[in-house]
Amino acid sequence: MEGSPIDIVVFAPLAPILGVLLFWFIQLLFIESEKILLSKIRPKHEPLCRFTNFLGILFQSVCHALGYTITKSGISDFYISVNYGRVAPKKEKKGIFEWIANAFLFIGPFFLPAFLLLVFLFFSPVNFEIITPSPLIELKYTFAGQIMTFGASLHAFAEGFFGFLFNIDLLHPGHFGFLLLLIFLGMGMRPSYIGEKKQEKVDMLYDLKNIWSLITHKPLYLIILFMAAYIFFYISLFFNGDWFVALFSILGWVSIISIVAIIIANILLFLIKTTDEIPGIWKFIPYLVMPVSYISARVLFFYVPLENTNFISLLLMASLTALVTFLLLKYKTNKLKSTRKIKMSKKKSKGEADEG
Amino acid sequence: MKDDERLKNEKVERVLSPHPLSFMRYQALSIYLVIWGIVFGWIVNISEWSSFFIDTPIWSLLFWGIGLLLAGVIASLFTVRWIIFILYLAIFASGVGLVFLLNLHDSIGIFAPVYTLFMSIAGFVTVEVYRRSHRYIISNQRIVFKGGIITKNERTLRYDKITDINAKQGIIGQIFGFGTITPISQSGFGLGSEKSMAAGGIIIGSKKAKLFGAIGGGKEVQDPMARSYFELHGVYPYKKVKKLVEEMVQGNVITAYQKEQVTFQKEQVDIQKQMRDLLKIQSESKDDEEEEKEKEEKKT
Repeated sequence: MEGSPIDIVVFAPLAPILGVLLFWFIQLLFIESEKILLSKIRPKHEPLCRFTNFLGILFQSVCHALGYTITKSGISDFYISVNYGRVAPKKEKKGIFEWIANAFLFIGPFFLPAFLLLVFLFFSPVNFEIITPSPLIELKYTFAGQIMTFGASLHAFAEGFFGFLFNIDLLHPGHFGFLLLLIFLGMGMRPSYIGEKKQEKVDMLYDLKNIWSLITHKPLYLIILFMAAYIFFYISLFFNGDWFVALFSILGWVSIISIVAIIIANILLFLIKTTDEIPGIWKFIPYLVMPVSYISARVLFFYVPLENTNFISLLLMASLTALVTFLLLKYKTNKLKSTRKIKMSKKKSKGEADEG
Repeated sequence: MKDDERLKNEKVERVLSPHPLSFMRYQALSIYLVIWGIVFGWIVNISEWSSFFIDTPIWSLLFWGIGLLLAGVIASLFTVRWIIFILYLAIFASGVGLVFLLNLHDSIGIFAPVYTLFMSIAGFVTVEVYRRSHRYIISNQRIVFKGGIITKNERTLRYDKITDINAKQGIIGQIFGFGTITPISQSGFGLGSEKSMAAGGIIIGSKKAKLFGAIGGGKEVQDPMARSYFELHGVYPYKKVKKLVEEMVQGNVITAYQKEQVTFQKEQVDIQKQMRDLLKIQSESKDDEEEEKEKEEKKT
């Protein structure tokens, strides 16, 4: 067996855990940018923000309820509104059960909704295969070996997932539904709530503080969890299996789905924020260009068959929407004009007014 | 509100109508038709199963019907309104009728989705017309509810007749800021009952019904509900309207303290009346005495 005993016994199990943590932090960063975007568009798009709040609260409440179900506490009260969610257990359980239920509440929203989407992906008509890490790379029980296996597994998944995303057929009801779910997931996956009051909890620290207090409240449970992970690694090692990496790979896949969902939601929110600056009914033009360009491209490629028509149509749709938005910003607002140009246009409009 | 409809000293505070999304219950029926039209069109014409439907067009008609009727049954069971099933059945029946009448057997794959989409548009238009027929006028003296497309319904409710206010806001209402306010009058107007019934049966035996058992149960629950033209249905902005109505009701209802004051004032008035009568009697008796004195003086 390769590697020093310390590497195998102490460091190797840490590799996939650190990998997942890294992806989770990337997720948090994107969530942060989404929260900032949401708080910026809030004055003009109150219903959208309320909807995303509702999604967030829904995810949290469902995760909390799941936590109570798993710990066999039962659910006596389940209430969700746009501003507030409440889940109460039937039996108040203390100790590790309470800790697990709270862990589901604070960490669950980052992973569980995306996990459901992953399940949907595997059972949907899209051909997705569950690739276990061992056929991808030779399994080594060292830190480097484990992290490489974890990376290879994520790479294999990402290849398939991005392949699907870049060739998504928006005229296929299943694909379109998946994209909608992905957007909803991206919009709702944020544990802190953007409230109506001025003190908006939009900072990442608020989320991390909750998780940190959960950890520091009962550090012993975290140690137990780590020990369980280590024991699971040793069992995998003993039977020469890849179960340990596979388990954390799933969390990595889920993180990838979450990150992609948040990026798509970010792009949409950015489009909304940008079009808000365009005056009058012109602001709706980019939203019209989107479906019209896609459908036109698909119709065109129906008569002129090419390879990768789905991808080209998506690319056309995205670039045309971006171009139209850019042109509207340039000609309908002062956003992309230099100061000289603004002065010139002001002079011109003044001259016209004087003549009139 | 027209001037001739206005009462003496009546001031209109607000004229409202339901929010465009407040009739989502009905709009959802049309939304389902849109989705089913698109999904059906895709399955029958584009998907990998399309060849099966192209070869046997009658199957596509059946498949279309199953999609409609199944949704109708499920929606009816959940909402306890069989009208939904009947509506979808009518759409299916009329669609089948048109296929046979116009001999469209070979083009069901095109006709059915287009017809479904057309029916959904008709549904949207009907709901919108119905929504626009509603008008709620909140004045300083009363609330006037108006609505109805063909039959015009109107309800007038004075604030002092309102005993209770029920307010509800669904998720869509919470997102878009609208909600329903049902004022319940002293006569119980605004309260409705919901009946639910469950029944089941079993038949054993292939040729004859050897055993048949059925269990059923009924439950009636009184709930604050009224027709959309007898309540402030889906009004926007919900919180402000609710506050306005509550303030109006409070302003017109006599509180316990006010009641006490009225009784006290009544007592005061009674005492004053008694005193007045006493004074009257006293002054009359004085007058009589003086008259008698005068008479006696004259005699002497």
